[in-house]
Amino acid sequence: MAVAEPYVAPPPGRRFRVRLPTLYGKVPGSSYLAFGALGLVTAVTLVSGAIAPDNPDVPVAIPLTAPSGTSLFGTDEVGRDILSRVLVGMTSSWWGAIAVIVSGVLIGGLIGLVAGAAGGWVDSVLMRVTDLFLALPGAVLAVAVAAALGVSYLHTLIAVAIVWWPLYARIVRGEITRLRASPHIEAARVAGSSSVRIALRDLMPGAVPPTIVAATQDVGALILTLAGLSFLGLGAPAPAPELGSMSQQGLTYLFDAWWIPVLPAVAVAVLVMVANFAGDAVRDLFTDR
Amino acid sequence: MMRLLAKRLAAGAGVLMVLTAVVFLLRQLSPVDPARALVGAKAAAPVVAAERRKLGLDDPIVIQYFRYLGNVVRGNFGESAVTHNGIGSDLGHFLTATSELLIAAFVLAAVLGLAFAVATVSRWRGSGLLRLLMVVMSALPVFLTALLGIILFYETLHWLPATGQSSYADAPSGPTGFLLIDSLLAGRLNVLWDAFVHLILPAGCLAIAPAVAIGRVLRSSLQHAMRSDYVRTARAKGQGELRVMLAHGLRNSLGPALAMAGVMVAAMFAATLVVEEVFAWPGLGQYAVQAIDIGDYSTIAAVTLCLGGLYVLANLIVDILQAAADPRIRA
Repeated sequence: MAVAEPYVAPPPGRRFRVRLPTLYGKVPGSSYLAFGALGLVTAVTLVSGAIAPDNPDVPVAIPLTAPSGTSLFGTDEVGRDILSRVLVGMTSSWWGAIAVIVSGVLIGGLIGLVAGAAGGWVDSVLMRVTDLFLALPGAVLAVAVAAALGVSYLHTLIAVAIVWWPLYARIVRGEITRLRASPHIEAARVAGSSSVRIALRDLMPGAVPPTIVAATQDVGALILTLAGLSFLGLGAPAPAPELGSMSQQGLTYLFDAWWIPVLPAVAVAVLVMVANFAGDAVRDLFTDR
Repeated sequence: MMRLLAKRLAAGAGVLMVLTAVVFLLRQLSPVDPARALVGAKAAAPVVAAERRKLGLDDPIVIQYFRYLGNVVRGNFGESAVTHNGIGSDLGHFLTATSELLIAAFVLAAVLGLAFAVATVSRWRGSGLLRLLMVVMSALPVFLTALLGIILFYETLHWLPATGQSSYADAPSGPTGFLLIDSLLAGRLNVLWDAFVHLILPAGCLAIAPAVAIGRVLRSSLQHAMRSDYVRTARAKGQGELRVMLAHGLRNSLGPALAMAGVMVAAMFAATLVVEEVFAWPGLGQYAVQAIDIGDYSTIAAVTLCLGGLYVLANLIVDILQAAADPRIRA
C-alpha cells in the first residue's frame, strides 16, 4: 500500500508557465505535413507582392494567352497576368478569413465569457440574443448586410463577422458553465477572489482550447463563404484581384480560355484544403488520444 | 405531435418577424436615398423633401416598420429595378424554379449522404476511395465543381446541358410552376426528361458539400448504433447484416443527421445563388445577383425574406422528420 506523499510546492517561477501540448510521439506524421503546408501558404501570402511576376492590375501581355513557360497561369481577357492576380487574391482571402475568425472569437468569446461567468438573467438574455442570430439563415443574411452597406471588401468581412460570432459565444459559454461547477472555482470563490478575477484567471483559460479547435476548423468554411460572396459580386469591386470575382468575370471565357475562371477557383480550393488539414491537425493536438 | 408543430410554427413566425426587422433596419443603413432615386440626383432640396414626405420617410421609424410589415404580408415589395415588374410577381416566377433546384439537391444530398455512411460503415470495397473523393470535393468551392462539371460533362463528354432549366421554349409553366410536375401533368414526357437532364448538374454541384456533412454525422451515429445491444440481438436472430443496418441501426441514428441537414439548408442557399449564376438557372439566385450588380436593395431584401421563409419551412420539415424518427421528441 502506498503511503500518501506530502505535498511539495513546485519551485517558484514555474507556477504560471503554460504547459504546451507535447508534440513528440503523440502527433501523427500527417499533422507535421499539415502544419508545414499551413506555414508555406502563410509565407506565400505574406510575400505575394514580392514574388508576383508582374503587376496584377495592369495588362502586361497579349490577352487570352494560355498557361506556358513565360506566363505560368496565362493572361486574362485584358492581358493581366493571372498568376500575380491569384497570388494577391489568395493573400486577401486568407487574411480576410483570419480577420473575421479573430474578430468572431473575440466578440463571441467576450459575450460567452460574460454570459457564462455571470449566470442568471444576464446569461439568459445574452443566450437568447445568440440563439436568435443562430436561428437566422447566416449566408442569406450576410448577402443582405453586404448589399445594404455597399459593395466593398470591408463591408463583406463585417457582414460575415456579424453572422459568425454566435457560434463562438455558444462554445465559450458552454465550456465556462461546465467549468463553473468545478471545485477549484469554488475554492477560489471561498478564498475571496472577485468574480472578475475568477472569470479571467480561472474560467477563461479553460475555455480557450475548444474555442481554438472550433476556430481553426472554421477557417476553411469561411474562405469558401467569402469566395462565394465575392463570386456573387459582394467583395472588392472589379477590377480588384479577388479569387471569387475573377472566376465570375471569366465565366464567358470558360470554353475558349478555361484558365481564366478555373485557376482562381483552384486557388480557393487549395487554401480551403490546407486550412481544413491544419484545422484537423490542431484538433488532434488538443485531443487526448 | 400537434403541440410540437404549433411550437415550431410559432418559433418560425418569430424568426421571420426578426428577419423583417433586420432587413428593414439594413435598408435604413443603405447609402441610397429612395426619394432622391425617384426624383433624380439633380433635384432641388424642397423637391426631395416633398418626395420624402410623400413616401412617408419622415414618419417615426416604428410606424415605417409596421407599414413595411403590412406591405410584406400583402406581398407588396415594391418595384424591381432589374425587371421593372412588381417584385412580388417576380418572386412568384422565380421561387418555383429555385425550389425545384433546392428540393432536387436536398434529396440528392440525403441519398448520397446515406450511401456514403452505409458504405463506409459496412466497409464495402472502394468505400475508402469514395470517402477521400467526397472529402476532397467538399473542400472545393461550389463554382469550381460547377465549372469542372460543365467542362467534363458538357464540353468533353456531351452528356449533359450546360445552362438553363429546359431546352424547350414552349415548356409548360402550368399549374404548379415546377417544371418536372407540370410536364408530367401535361403528358409531355420529352419535356420531363429534358428538365430532369438539365437538373442533374446544378443539383449535383449543390448536393456535394451537404452530402459529405450529412454522411459524416450519419456515419458516426450509425457506428455508435451498430454497437448497441438491440443490433446484436437482431444479428443473433439471424437477420442479414444490411437489413440489420437499415431497419435497426439507421432509424436510431437519423436524429443528428437530420439536425445537420437542417443546418446545411442555410449553407445551401448561398451555394444556390452561385450555382444559379453559373448555370443561368432562371431562379431567385440569378435575380438576386442582377439586383446586387445594380444595387437594387428592395429586390435583395425581398429575396432575403423569401429565402428566410424557405429556411423556416425547411427546418420545420426537418423537425417533423426528426419527431417521426424518434418518438421521444414528440412530447
